[in-house]
Amino acid sequence: MNLTAEHLSITLAGTDIVKDISLSVEKGQFVGLIGPNGCGKSTLLKSIYKVIKPQKGLVFLGEKDVLKSSARMISKEMGVVGQFNELSFDFTVHEMVMMGRTPHKHLMESDSLKDYDIVADALERVHLSAYADRSYLTLSGGEKQRVILARAIAQQPKFLILDEPTNHLDIKYQLQILSVVKSLNIGVLAALHDLSMASVYCDILYVIKQGEVLASGRPKDILTNELIRQVYDINCEVYTNPITGDLAIAYL
Amino acid sequence: MAIARAQRKLTNNSLDTGSRIQNRSLFSVIVVSLLAAVGVSIIVSVSIGQVSIPFGQSFWILVEQITGLQTGRIPADANDMFLDVIWQIRFPRVLLAMITGAGLALCGTVMQASVQNPLADPFILGISSGASLGATFSILIGFGIGGFIGELGVAAWAFIGALAAAILVLGLASIGGKTSSVKLILAGTVINALCGAFSNFIVFFAKNVEGIRSISFWTMGSLAAAEWGTLPLITAVVLTATLFFLFQFRVMNTMLLGEETALTLGINLNHYRRLYMVISSIVTGVLVCTCGIIGFVGLIVPHMVRSVVGSNHKRLVPVAILFGSLFMIWTDVFARTVITHGELPIGIVTSLLGAPVFMYMLIKKSYGFGGK
Repeated sequence: MNLTAEHLSITLAGTDIVKDISLSVEKGQFVGLIGPNGCGKSTLLKSIYKVIKPQKGLVFLGEKDVLKSSARMISKEMGVVGQFNELSFDFTVHEMVMMGRTPHKHLMESDSLKDYDIVADALERVHLSAYADRSYLTLSGGEKQRVILARAIAQQPKFLILDEPTNHLDIKYQLQILSVVKSLNIGVLAALHDLSMASVYCDILYVIKQGEVLASGRPKDILTNELIRQVYDINCEVYTNPITGDLAIAYL
Repeated sequence: MAIARAQRKLTNNSLDTGSRIQNRSLFSVIVVSLLAAVGVSIIVSVSIGQVSIPFGQSFWILVEQITGLQTGRIPADANDMFLDVIWQIRFPRVLLAMITGAGLALCGTVMQASVQNPLADPFILGISSGASLGATFSILIGFGIGGFIGELGVAAWAFIGALAAAILVLGLASIGGKTSSVKLILAGTVINALCGAFSNFIVFFAKNVEGIRSISFWTMGSLAAAEWGTLPLITAVVLTATLFFLFQFRVMNTMLLGEETALTLGINLNHYRRLYMVISSIVTGVLVCTCGIIGFVGLIVPHMVRSVVGSNHKRLVPVAILFGSLFMIWTDVFARTVITHGELPIGIVTSLLGAPVFMYMLIKKSYGFGGK
């Protein structure tokens, strides 16, 4: 499913956080948002998944007007993996993932065998099948993040939003999470902080600074020494990694 | 290789589903045993008291009274007084205990979910102090005024106070947009303090010793008011709320995940949170105006049950309701039998029993109240 955001502007407490940003994600594309902390990536994503109301702009998921549709309607098609996933009450991993079925259930409907299969499958995809009965709060950060991803997968979304899904994770889980997401073959819009990782996994990148899109396009076309200095205020050398052939960045 | 993977997946899935089904039957076992325990407890508790009645006779008296049949099982030389003691005094009281326990446990569960805080209880919205203020006002001032205000009983005033406090807390917490759980807890604390101060103010200037005594008795809670006449209203209210919340398990589960996550799962918490609080405050208000303030039950029963069946409200709500009933039946038996010639206020008993249990759970490692 494709997603388009048109001329989104968001002002929070008198500050313009997002200034007239438009972007689009084609069917099956993996699109990344990069930019320094506080550039408005998260706020932009939150307005797309309806947590923050933008002052101006439109968001379409396929034919649906996201901002005017009910949360329930959107949640049937759009999954979100957010940044903060702490709880004050404990659930088992299985229960956490089963909650991904919520959008597809009536209030009185109980979980069917099909739901159990979907949940088992989602757990398998993130390699947590053996963890089904573990308590969520005893898991490590990386495991928690994978549970949340499994929940989003169990939601069977046609579009996925990720807000820095690999934050605080060690490299193994960073790669694992992004590979699992990539393998879903659905439209993805992700805020990422690791530039080389973003350049490997993303088809298209949007570079954001102070609430504005500075550049957008294929990673290889837009990630230059000049742009990175402009965005992050650092000196670096972008080169082709001789081993993988991917783009790599050396910070100077 | 693909086949091996598919096979592994198949066994994994069926294994998984298998253990889930086992889990489900464990849940049924818990529910059935609790139901049986409640049934047995009713028989035992109507037999215990100043006058001891053989369990068998209690059972058949209840059966005959409820079904209207003549079973002929009650011995001919049975004491006629037994019938009155059971049917007019003890049975209504046990029923009231059951309903109160169920209602408090339900409201505690709902409140803990609504404010996402393990320390929430049915009185968090200032309901207890509001009700106390209403009762204090009625006992020490209200009756002197006469007319319409004087006509209303203590219970009605307590109810008015409870609801007024809840409305104030909800209003205060939603000033400036969204109602967050922190704002609710703070608003509840403020209103509690304020109502407490007003109550003390009235008590301080009152010359009415008898009145002050009855207030302190009232704030300690008691099921002594139980009679058939008080039961229908309270039963209807608690039963309706129970039926409603039994089917809200999905919403209550996502509530624990927080505002934002719930929204991405299609559920707008703001709306549900307000609805739940209004319903809980009505239920708690009705309970308080009948039995006074019975603390700790609504706080501790959900935690005890959670440590056995987990946080999933599909299981938590029904088990908490049943366990709340059971807990209350036995605390009341204790309250009315522990001292000869009289009874302890049940609020004292629930706190005396509840606090150590709570401490134990705090010390015990396997249940962390959400912390690690």
